[in-house]
Amino acid sequence: MDDPASRDTPDDSRGNAAGGTDSGGNATGGTDAELSHLREILVGPERKELAHLQSRVDRLGFTPERLADELPAAIFRRTDRGDRQLAIALAPSVEQALGESVRRHPRMIATAIFPVLGPAIRKAIAQALSGLVASVNAGIGQTFSWRGLKWRLEAWRTGVPFAQVVISHSMLYRVEQVLLIHAESGLLLAHVSSPDLVATDGDLISGMMTAIRDFVGDSFAAEREVGGLTSFKVGELEVHVEPGPQAILAAVVRGPAPQPLLERLRETIESIHLRFAGALVAFHGDTAPFEPSKDLLDDLLETVLQNDPRIIKRITWWPWVLAFVLLMALLAFVQWRRGNAWERVVTRLEAEPGIVVVKADQGWRRSRLSGMRDPLAARPAAMLAALGTDTTRIDGQWQPYVSLDSSVVIERARRQLRAPATVTLALRGDTLQAGGSAPMAWVVDVGDLRMFPPGVSHIAVNEVETQLPERVSAGIAIIEQRRVLFAIASSRLSPLAQVTIDSTASELLAMDSSLRVVGRHLELELAGRADATGLDSTNQSLSADRAENVRRALIRSGVSETAVSTRAFGSGVPLAVADTTARARVNRSVSFVVRVARSERSTIPR
Amino acid sequence: MNQKKVCMIGVYGTGKTSLVQQYVHSKFSEKYHSTVGVKIDRKVVEVIGENLTLVLWDIAGKEGDEEVPASYVRGAHGVIFVADFTRRETWDELPAFDELVQGAAGVVPTVVALNKADLTAQRVIAPEDEQKFASKWDIIHTSAKTGQGVEDIFQRLARAMVKVPGAAS
Repeated sequence: MDDPASRDTPDDSRGNAAGGTDSGGNATGGTDAELSHLREILVGPERKELAHLQSRVDRLGFTPERLADELPAAIFRRTDRGDRQLAIALAPSVEQALGESVRRHPRMIATAIFPVLGPAIRKAIAQALSGLVASVNAGIGQTFSWRGLKWRLEAWRTGVPFAQVVISHSMLYRVEQVLLIHAESGLLLAHVSSPDLVATDGDLISGMMTAIRDFVGDSFAAEREVGGLTSFKVGELEVHVEPGPQAILAAVVRGPAPQPLLERLRETIESIHLRFAGALVAFHGDTAPFEPSKDLLDDLLETVLQNDPRIIKRITWWPWVLAFVLLMALLAFVQWRRGNAWERVVTRLEAEPGIVVVKADQGWRRSRLSGMRDPLAARPAAMLAALGTDTTRIDGQWQPYVSLDSSVVIERARRQLRAPATVTLALRGDTLQAGGSAPMAWVVDVGDLRMFPPGVSHIAVNEVETQLPERVSAGIAIIEQRRVLFAIASSRLSPLAQVTIDSTASELLAMDSSLRVVGRHLELELAGRADATGLDSTNQSLSADRAENVRRALIRSGVSETAVSTRAFGSGVPLAVADTTARARVNRSVSFVVRVARSERSTIPR
Repeated sequence: MNQKKVCMIGVYGTGKTSLVQQYVHSKFSEKYHSTVGVKIDRKVVEVIGENLTLVLWDIAGKEGDEEVPASYVRGAHGVIFVADFTRRETWDELPAFDELVQGAAGVVPTVVALNKADLTAQRVIAPEDEQKFASKWDIIHTSAKTGQGVEDIFQRLARAMVKVPGAAS
């Protein structure tokens, strides 16, 4: 900058020149001094002030070079103070410059921002997914609760998606609309709202809001000085008004707005006044200049969910844990039931005679059973079907073997011995005990066996009631019809009686011999009698003698002494005879009672 | 987009609300409902090929000593004074309203709707009266009931507000 002293020179010279035209010589010198004096009087203070100001300007040193040196530091210091005014002031110029640069050198800008663009996109996607997950989590979390059911009912009633209902209830607050309103006219300058919000008429809202503010301002004049109406509630909505000199910012918030949001509203209205100062002052109805302000308003739209860690923890985990526990319990129950059913099947098979289960594997799709089975044992498939088991899902592998289970041994013996249905069989140790009744031929055949069924070392048939052959039965019947007759009051054997006794002894011996093979023998009881005449005591004695005499004769004829016994009836138990003339004769007799008895040796050894 | 704030001002019962209803919703009702405070409505009109949104402030009419709130008029871009063809006092109040508007909104385009023009038999505002203010205001005979002059009055004000040559001032 020029030195003020040097700038005075032309004035002085002009002064001199002017003075020179009026006079010359000393007169000129005197005139100069006078003029200088006069100048000092007239403009002296101003000149001094001018010089002082010039010197201040020079001290500030705002030369382009110095400004270039100081500007970065100055910007840094201002920014470092956290003052946003500088950024707001510079923003339009920077945006303009950036826009111009992008327009002229798009590739260079693209290359420059490429390293930050990728992470930014990833971050944005991650945030969106995180929001989605939070929404789904919130939805799932509330699905299992009573409150969740209530909200589901609300969603059904109102037609709003369930997730949205959950969010509306779980959110802390949500800025749904932001309106920028011209303070004086109440006209809407800019309006943004949440994308999912039902469209509202911003013009009418801003007009009515302004009217209400005016009304409140008129009614409560004192309060107007401190901002007037700053908020009001409509149902769940709170409208927060942030007034500025030229414009008003109104935020429609669902839920209680926190202090930081109100501070952001204030900062935003300040920014708008700074950026759109000219447009606001010159506003005469044209809202086009305020279109860019929508970016600032958009920044205020937000949904903040409750982030209480306990709630998130509960929402995130308990339904999953509950679902997992229920699933596990269900699986455990199903597995327990399947295991029980399988155990019953295996136990039943193991209890079945003739079946030995070696391996039993239960699988989810197919199960496997393997072991040994006696051909006489029950069929496993039929048994499982009877238990209600799906046999198509079970693979069975059974090897044949000879079972020593008693029932199988008995069944095997019954088949092998061809035991009649009337014969019962039981196994006692290794002895097969036969019972019931059977033809003597079967008893004899069994006695002849030399190869017994497996599991049997002895067969006992002594308890079998032998069905006598026709020949023996008829022989016994004939013998029992016979009478050895005696003379009156005599116990002596007549020759005819001896013949009867001999033939009877012969027949008895033959039959006894055949019975002994099957462990039976014959026993003979001799019943002595007397006719009704005479004393009872005499008759009793006589009948005993008669029986004894017949017994001795039989023994002499070869009948075993132990096989014959006697009984004396006297005249007390007479034989029933229709012919009265023959009754006395028939009762002077000895009659035969033949019995088949078991022999001591009844077990057939192997 | 261009928007203008238009205030409807007049004594109570002159038909301000009916004019707005007829203009915006093409409706008319014989029933009278007094406006409380102010009602806001909106109508988009086309002026020389451009859309202009009129935000209509239907302000409660002056009743007795109750003055029209100046705060409602502040920032207005245009004003429609509404007087009743059949009530003298509604006409006489117009200068006072004009003063109010000038104080609150400055000099803005203004038109006068002499409403209920269909009730010709009951007319009390003489043509001479109209002539008296003819140089100051554009005076239009309107009838919210028949629709007479309704479209015209808003259109004239709209044109005046966007400073179409020859429009009312």
